[in-house]
Amino acid sequence: MIIGCGRVGSQIAANMDRAGHEVVIVDRDPNAFSRASTRGVLTRDFRGDQVVGNGTDVDVLRRAGIEKADGFVAVTEGDNRNIMASQIAKHVFKVPHVVTRIYDPERAETYEKLGVHTICPTIEGAKHIERVLMERT
Amino acid sequence: MYVIVVGGGTVGYYLSRDLVERGHEVTLIEKEARRADWLETQLGSIVMRGDGCEVRFLAQTGIERADAMLAVTADDEDNLIALQVAKRHFRVKKTIARVNNPTNVEIFKMLGVDEAVSATEVLLAALEPPITT
Repeated sequence: MIIGCGRVGSQIAANMDRAGHEVVIVDRDPNAFSRASTRGVLTRDFRGDQVVGNGTDVDVLRRAGIEKADGFVAVTEGDNRNIMASQIAKHVFKVPHVVTRIYDPERAETYEKLGVHTICPTIEGAKHIERVLMERT
Repeated sequence: MYVIVVGGGTVGYYLSRDLVERGHEVTLIEKEARRADWLETQLGSIVMRGDGCEVRFLAQTGIERADAMLAVTADDEDNLIALQVAKRHFRVKKTIARVNNPTNVEIFKMLGVDEAVSATEVLLAALEPPITT
């Protein structure tokens, strides 16, 4: 289950669907899905479910089938929304694999310490760019 | 008591005003600059502009000696994160949330918030008289 159908969320959804996994992608903005389709990411052969709703709402998550999810990814534009959705997935629905994107490095560090499996693209991206830059010079 | 209030909307404003009137020490945190300026004209220097979810900002509010934190913004996720940081990082004794989605009353308690209050639940309780048999 993927929360947030932006560039990252739709990409993960498309890749995992192609790899043969059962995918549900949730976004509160109904236009997010057509935007992903216009970008050529979520194409017509995407077999996953697209659910319109707030990913921090327990009832929406239940309707989207979270109770049978093996993995959960929160990649909306809001750090706090991602943290809340992930904690619901992990602690309320006991989803075994939960990954959260947190842009704010400070918040990422705080929640990593509290046991939230965190990806901080700000730190990771900066490190990666630095590494590539140094290799070139 | 020293009380920190996160969110200077209508609820946060009246809450802070009444807490001050009752003799408590209050810090009211508001993220938006213009709203914070207005709050300051009404409540004075108890208003601080900043993000109530940020550890570094909260450290400047004297949170270590706070007896309670109330998070009353219109966004449940912001209220949850502010209170979790207060509770787990700063060991604030009592954390109280306003929740907008009534389902979140239970969820917040499961995720470590001490008390969660839903206006929807309060209004429904007022509407429906207790069942007497």
